[in-house]
Amino acid sequence: MKINKEAIAGTLESSDIQITISKNHLIKNTIYLESPVKHLYEVAIKKVIMNTLEKHQITNANVKAIDQGALDCTIIARTQSAIYRATEKKEINWEAID
Amino acid sequence: MQKLFESDVKGRQALEIFLESFDLSLDQDIEKTYVKKSSDGKIIATGSIAKNVLKSIAVDKHYQGSSLINEMVSYLMEECYQMGETHLFIYTKPESYKAFEFLGFKKITETNRVVLMENKINGFQDFLKNIKDKELTSPSAGIVLNANPFTKGHYYLVKRASEENPWVHVFVVWENQSTFSNVERYNLVSKGLKDLKNVSIHKGLNYIISAATFPSYFISGKDEVIKEQTKLDLKLFGDKIAPSLGINKRYVGKEPFNNTTAKYNETMKKVLPDYGIEVIEIERKKIEDQIISASTVRRLIYEGDLEKLKCLVPKSTFEYLKSPASQGVINKIKKDYNEKKLV
Repeated sequence: MKINKEAIAGTLESSDIQITISKNHLIKNTIYLESPVKHLYEVAIKKVIMNTLEKHQITNANVKAIDQGALDCTIIARTQSAIYRATEKKEINWEAID
Repeated sequence: MQKLFESDVKGRQALEIFLESFDLSLDQDIEKTYVKKSSDGKIIATGSIAKNVLKSIAVDKHYQGSSLINEMVSYLMEECYQMGETHLFIYTKPESYKAFEFLGFKKITETNRVVLMENKINGFQDFLKNIKDKELTSPSAGIVLNANPFTKGHYYLVKRASEENPWVHVFVVWENQSTFSNVERYNLVSKGLKDLKNVSIHKGLNYIISAATFPSYFISGKDEVIKEQTKLDLKLFGDKIAPSLGINKRYVGKEPFNNTTAKYNETMKKVLPDYGIEVIEIERKKIEDQIISASTVRRLIYEGDLEKLKCLVPKSTFEYLKSPASQGVINKIKKDYNEKKLV
């Protein structure tokens, strides 16, 4: 899917994660992460975000993730919301959503 | 979270008292204000938006350490994104900036009393990288112009700098709050300086005299507030922008009319030498004993006095003003004058 604009989803409250997606000019996704548990879960959190992007065929996103200790299900949901806002897609690709 | 309406006089009074205890106030450029109240109706948190700047954020001290600040900032950010503003700034005090760092904001620069932060990870670095992509000759001189619109006075100033320095960097103020739009101003500056070969022209974006670095340039402010903002703006220039371009002089026209600009120049002379930058103040160019200023030009546009206008602006600006493309801005000037918004 094509990123049309910079979009944000999620909050900065405890147990949530704020995901910002913008377009980059590379041909890969980049993830910037800030989290109080970064030293423990950096790889795991980035993997969840990356998988979600790939499921939606996003290949040129800059993702900024400000985590406040979110669970995987929250990370996926927030990433998906940000993707749909950034691509301005109205129909939902249910196959990509577990 | 609830929006505080302009018409809610009582609510505003209560908020002003609440903000006063934090030594904060509501700036004139604020567009939206939100408050959070406790169950007994007392304000416990507040935050405001002025286009892309988050301002006057405060949380009652009994609730500090709770997640109220997170809730407030999330809410303000979401509002900004919905309005299409994605590059956001926070203007805060040194003692509170850490709290915003946990929320993903990065410090750009600071003075003893204020810290300027942004939500882009590499926002300022990207700005520097972009202007550095262009040719670099040092040492060079720097000039900041609003050029509303570009006059012979601006040309005189830049020409003087270009004669005295190997290279000149001209920054056009990018905030879209002047009569002429930022693109119009930038284009007229580019055209007007075409014959000077050692000059490059940059967009000042959010980092030179912008609503983020120096809001009082666009709204009236108290003298002490102006002073602090000019310090912040000039520190960013002296400490970060100038060294990366090899700028060691800043040229500026003497300001006889505008109090804010005069103060800015005054602070410039005090602050910039600390960063090894010499400030060179040039007497304004005169034609027939009259100082050339952009405000005079706008007045002449209103009066439709083409003959006089021709003396004050370069050919490129004059031609633009005669072309159909400028009809929009000319109507705007006339409207502003008729409503007495301009002096």
